[in-house]
Amino acid sequence: MNRKILIAAAVPVALLSLAGCKRVDSPDEQKVATAGPEGGPPPPPPYTIRDEAPRGDRHAAGRDGAALFSNHCGYCHLPGGMGTNLVTVQQVKAGNSPEMGLLTNREDLTAEYVKAVVRNGKVAMPPQTRVDITDAELDAVAAYLGKGK
Amino acid sequence: MKLTLPPRISPQQFDAALSAFAGAVGKDWVMSSDADRDAYADIYNPGPTEQWPASAAVAPASVEEIQAVVRLANEHKTPLWPVSRGKNLGYGANAPRMPGSVVLDLGRMNKVLELDPELAYCVVEPGVSFFDLYDHIQREKAPLWMSVPGNGWGSVLGNALDHGMGYTPYGQHAQNLCGMEVVLPSGELVRTGMGAMDGAHAFHLFPLSYGPDWTKMFTQSNFGVVSKAGLWLQPAPETSMVLTWDIPNEEDIGWVIDTVTPLKLKGVIDQNVFIPSWLGKIVLMGQRKDFWDKPSAIPEWRVQELLKEHKLGFWQVQVRLYGDEAMNKARAEVIKAAFKQHLDAAPREEWWREGEPLNMMDPTMGVPSAVALQMGDWVGGRSGHMGFSPVVPATGKHVLDQLKRSRKIIADHDVDFYASFTISGRFATNINMLMFDRDKPDELANMRKLFTTLVDATAKAGYGEYRAHLGWMDEVNDTYGYNNSAQRRLNEAVKDAIDPNGIIAPGKQGVWPLAYREERGKKGEVA
Repeated sequence: MNRKILIAAAVPVALLSLAGCKRVDSPDEQKVATAGPEGGPPPPPPYTIRDEAPRGDRHAAGRDGAALFSNHCGYCHLPGGMGTNLVTVQQVKAGNSPEMGLLTNREDLTAEYVKAVVRNGKVAMPPQTRVDITDAELDAVAAYLGKGK
Repeated sequence: MKLTLPPRISPQQFDAALSAFAGAVGKDWVMSSDADRDAYADIYNPGPTEQWPASAAVAPASVEEIQAVVRLANEHKTPLWPVSRGKNLGYGANAPRMPGSVVLDLGRMNKVLELDPELAYCVVEPGVSFFDLYDHIQREKAPLWMSVPGNGWGSVLGNALDHGMGYTPYGQHAQNLCGMEVVLPSGELVRTGMGAMDGAHAFHLFPLSYGPDWTKMFTQSNFGVVSKAGLWLQPAPETSMVLTWDIPNEEDIGWVIDTVTPLKLKGVIDQNVFIPSWLGKIVLMGQRKDFWDKPSAIPEWRVQELLKEHKLGFWQVQVRLYGDEAMNKARAEVIKAAFKQHLDAAPREEWWREGEPLNMMDPTMGVPSAVALQMGDWVGGRSGHMGFSPVVPATGKHVLDQLKRSRKIIADHDVDFYASFTISGRFATNINMLMFDRDKPDELANMRKLFTTLVDATAKAGYGEYRAHLGWMDEVNDTYGYNNSAQRRLNEAVKDAIDPNGIIAPGKQGVWPLAYREERGKKGEVA
C-alpha cells in the first residue's frame, strides 16, 4: 500500500511535461506500457482490486484503516482513479512530485484535514454520508492517512 | 442544513417517526444532524444545495428491516425517498424530490448474493457498486464481464432501475434485470417474474412470468423498494478489438448513424455504440480556462483550432467487437467496408486477447471507473453537471434534426456544446452534457432556462427524454401527455391503490400520490 507509485495516465499530459516530470516505470507499468499505442499518451495503470471491507460492527472503534481506505476511498484514490488524477494535477502545480497524487504517499495530511474533506467534500469530491463511511471508519482512515503533524 | 419537515408533519410527530425507525434499524443508522442533511443533498444541483432537502436518512441492513421501516413510514405518515447508493450524479444524487422526505439509504445492503458463471448472471443487493461487483468477479475468477456507466461509484441496481446505460453488448442496463424482490408500499414482499413461484430455479433467467409480469413496473418508479434483483452479465470474450475513426465534420453524424444502425440491427455490431463530440475528449485534458479564457461559449473558430491542435475530429466513433478472433476479424472487415464508402481514412485498430490487462479507462471493456467525473475539474471550482437526454430514432435524418435544434438552443444560451449519441439498436440516446460553476448564480439561472427550453422544444418536435433531474421530473412527465396524460393518470391510479399514504418516493418521475399531489410542479425549497 505504501509503495510509491507514479501516476501518469489520464493526468493532463501537457501539464506533466511542462512541469518537467518524467515517468518512472514500475515493473507493472512496463508490462502494461507494451500494450499502449505507439506515440500515444501513456496507458493507464492496471486496475487495482480494492480490499474487502473489514467485517464486524461498522461503528466499533479500532477498525482497519488501510483496508477501509482501499474499500471506501479506492473508488477514486487508487492508481488511475479520478481523485488520484486530480490530486496529481494539484500536486504538480504546487511543485510537488506526481506520486503525491496518491494519498497513501502523502506525509503532509493530518487526520483532522482528512475528516473535514470526507465530510464536507472538496472540488470534484462529494461529501460522504455516514452510510458511505461511518464515523468510526473515518477515524481509522484518518489515522491511517494522517501522517502529518 | 436546517431541518425541513415533511408536509403536515409536526416536529413531535417527526421525532416519533425517527425513534420508531431507530427501533427497527438501530439508532446509529438513523441520521438526522445538520451535517447528515448536507450529505444527503444534491451537490450538483443547478441552484442552491438546499433546494431539495432531506429531513433525515435511515439505513436498513436487510429486507426485513426495509419492510419494518416501510410499515413504520405508513404508520407515521412519513414519506421515504429510497436510494440504492445515492450516486445518481447529475439527476439529483441522493436528494429527494419532495422536501422533507426521509432518505431510505440502501447502501449497507451490499452483498453479491449469487454469481453464476455458467448462465452468466448475478443476484445483487441495491448497495452493490459497480466496483464491488467487479472486484467480486475478479476474486471469484469468474469468466464474466460487466457493463459499466460513466460513474462506477454508483449502484449496479440503482443505475439499472433508473434506466442507466453502458457501452458493451449489455449496455441497456434495465434490460439485464431479471427477477426482482420488491418491498411494496404496504411492507409486503413480492417477487417478480418466475420468482412468483416458491423455489423457482429460473427466477433470474426467464424474463417474463405466467400472466402479466411486473418487473419493469419497478424501474424509474415509486411503486416499491427493490431489495434484490437478478442481472445478466456478459460471458468474458476470448478476444476483443476496437476500431476508432475520427469523424471530421459535424454533419457527418448523419452517415455515421446510417452506417452503424443497419450493422447493429443485423447483429454485426452488438455493443452500444457511443459517439461523443470533440469536447468529450478535451474535458479530460485540463481546465476550460486553459483552452478558452472567456465565460462565453467557445466560438466556432476556436473549436476548429482546437480540433487541429489536438488532432481530433468533431466526433469520434469507436466500434468494439467481442468474442472469437476469427469472427471479430470477419465482422471488422464488414464494418470497415461500410465506413470506407464515406471516409477514406482507415480506422485505428487495437486488439485485446484473453490474459492481457484491460484498459481501466475504457468503459467499453466493462471496467468500472469514476474518471468521467473528472469533467468537474473542467469548469473549476464547485462544479456540477446535468444531462439533457432525449431518445431519437437511430437514423441520420432524426439525429441531424435533433442535433441542429438542440445545438442552436444551446448556442442561443451561450453555452458550450458537448453531446453524444449512443446507438442502442433502433434508437439513439442523445446526451447533452451541461456543465456549470455552482458559485455563479447567473450561470445557474441560464442553465435552468436552457434546460426548460430544451425540454419544451424537443417535446414539440416529437422526442422525449429517458431520464431527468429532480428539477424537471414534472415538466418531462408533462411532455408524455398523450390523451390528456393517460400514462400519468394510470400511474397515479396504481400509485393510489397500492400506496394510499403516498409514502414511497412521492414525485419520482412526476408521479404523485394523492396524499401529496398538491406538491406537483413545486420547485423544492426555493423558487
